Amino acid sequence: MILANVLHRPIRTAVSILAVAIEVVMVMIVVGLTSGLLNDSARRTEGIGADVMVQPPGASFFFGLSSAPMPVKIGNLLSQVPHVLGVTPVLFQSDSTRGLVNLIWGIDMESWNRVSGGLVYLAGGPFQKPDDILVDDIYAHANHVKVGQTVNLLNHDFHVCAIVNHGKGGRLFIPLATAQDLSVSHDKASIFFVKCTEPGYTDDVTAQIQKRLTGYEVRNMKEFMSLMTSSNLPALTTFVGALIAVAVAIGFLVIFLSMYTTITERTREIGILKSLGASKRYILGLILREASLLCAVGIIAGFAGTWAARKALLTSFPTLSIELTALWAVKAAVLALLGTVVGAFYPALRASQLDPVDALAYE
Amino acid sequence: MEPIILTEDLKKVYRIGKVEVPALRGANLLVEEGEFLAVVGPSGCGKSTLLHILGGLTGPTSGRVLVDGNDFCCMDDADRTRFRRHKIGFVFQRFNLLPTLTARDNIALAQAIQGNGFNPHRFEQVADMLGIRAKLAHRPYALSGGEQQRVAIARAVICEPKILLADEPTGNLDTENSQLVLNMLRTLNRSFRQTILMITHNPEAAAVADRVIRMRDGRVVSS
Repeated sequence: MILANVLHRPIRTAVSILAVAIEVVMVMIVVGLTSGLLNDSARRTEGIGADVMVQPPGASFFFGLSSAPMPVKIGNLLSQVPHVLGVTPVLFQSDSTRGLVNLIWGIDMESWNRVSGGLVYLAGGPFQKPDDILVDDIYAHANHVKVGQTVNLLNHDFHVCAIVNHGKGGRLFIPLATAQDLSVSHDKASIFFVKCTEPGYTDDVTAQIQKRLTGYEVRNMKEFMSLMTSSNLPALTTFVGALIAVAVAIGFLVIFLSMYTTITERTREIGILKSLGASKRYILGLILREASLLCAVGIIAGFAGTWAARKALLTSFPTLSIELTALWAVKAAVLALLGTVVGAFYPALRASQLDPVDALAYE
Repeated sequence: MEPIILTEDLKKVYRIGKVEVPALRGANLLVEEGEFLAVVGPSGCGKSTLLHILGGLTGPTSGRVLVDGNDFCCMDDADRTRFRRHKIGFVFQRFNLLPTLTARDNIALAQAIQGNGFNPHRFEQVADMLGIRAKLAHRPYALSGGEQQRVAIARAVICEPKILLADEPTGNLDTENSQLVLNMLRTLNRSFRQTILMITHNPEAAAVADRVIRMRDGRVVSS
């Protein structure tokens, strides 16, 4: 009977399923995007291979929010700390000329290679001129960039001298001196990456640096990775929570309306069921099971929609990272079911409490 | 032997806003088990209200109602619903089949609600008895009035109720189908000792019954 009822009004059924599907897609894509971007950034930073990071006092662990108040000479100080193999300064510049915000890393190639082990070149080679730029393969694919082309970033024309493998720091690299000139931050850096002679010396090196540079943000990579979660960004958590609440509200309202019109339309049928001896619990269970069926189909459609949306977004914006996890798939399904049951409960209760004589007489 | 239905000074008052409408004003009725009783009377005399109370669809305002030994005055809605599920079958003027289900599913629904599961043997027996075997796969919109009413009767008797309550079962049927349905009811009564209480405006339909009672102004005036 539930299946027959659901198929009896295909448009209403389709709309209800769509609402639940949209709810699931919204939850999974929003969470996937936020965690994907955070984790991708963290992985690429970890991929540099450094053990310790040094930033100015009060600097955010989000590089894009950092300025460049540290003198490059601090690097010499850091190099003298026992068990330090190499130190490399980086100056960050943000560019938003192409719609998306790109973080450009100004690096000193020699020290960068010592700390990171060097970039892997897929095409082209290292900087030759001040206006040279290295792009990673994902950026190159997303923006249809080839070696030898010119790209305009920071209101400046750069010559693409190489395409490198992604996963080490940023997606765009320019010479440190060029970055300093463009930002009028001569002899400055946003951050220093420090490589230890052995990973076991990381804590010692960290302590030594903290002693010598009081007040500076000194973090080892493990600590940095633990910070790169949405729970350390209250505003982001609130934003994600608000979007999830909107998604659940959409599902709740559509199911409520759908079930309410269903029971109004089927008042006489409910009277017939009562004349056959159907209890209030039976009627309540019937409506809730019908809503749950719509929800189940909506969840499956939502999973399919999430997969399709992710594919579409990554096709259009390859530099994005969207992480879909089984845990959040379960959470999205539970939220959808919760919204459905709550939304269907009042209509179901109303249906169960209908007077059978009045219901049978309903036109 | 105790009567299967007994009412004493049965009253039912409906409250519509601030207005009280007495539908039954002290109805006294006695029906023996296996009896086929027709209830006739003008519109508004309380026939349907009497049927609804005897079927447990609504409770009495005052008076005594004993159905198969159960005192409805002491029973709440849940108790009456439970009683109706196992002991009462309804047949309505407008058939009241669920439009989204086939004839088979409409009949099986009664068994599902009763909770004893699908009984294929009983199902086949009822389908044969009512001559609807060939129509079981059809939805109500694809059945004639007579066929729909026979499906409704099948649904009403599939669970072997003690009492069959029929509210104008031929009211929406032509003469031929009316006769068919009345014959079915007669067969149920004669062959299976089914107790039947039938409301009708049609004197020819009433004549099929063992006994005819008349109602007027909420009372039984002759039996």
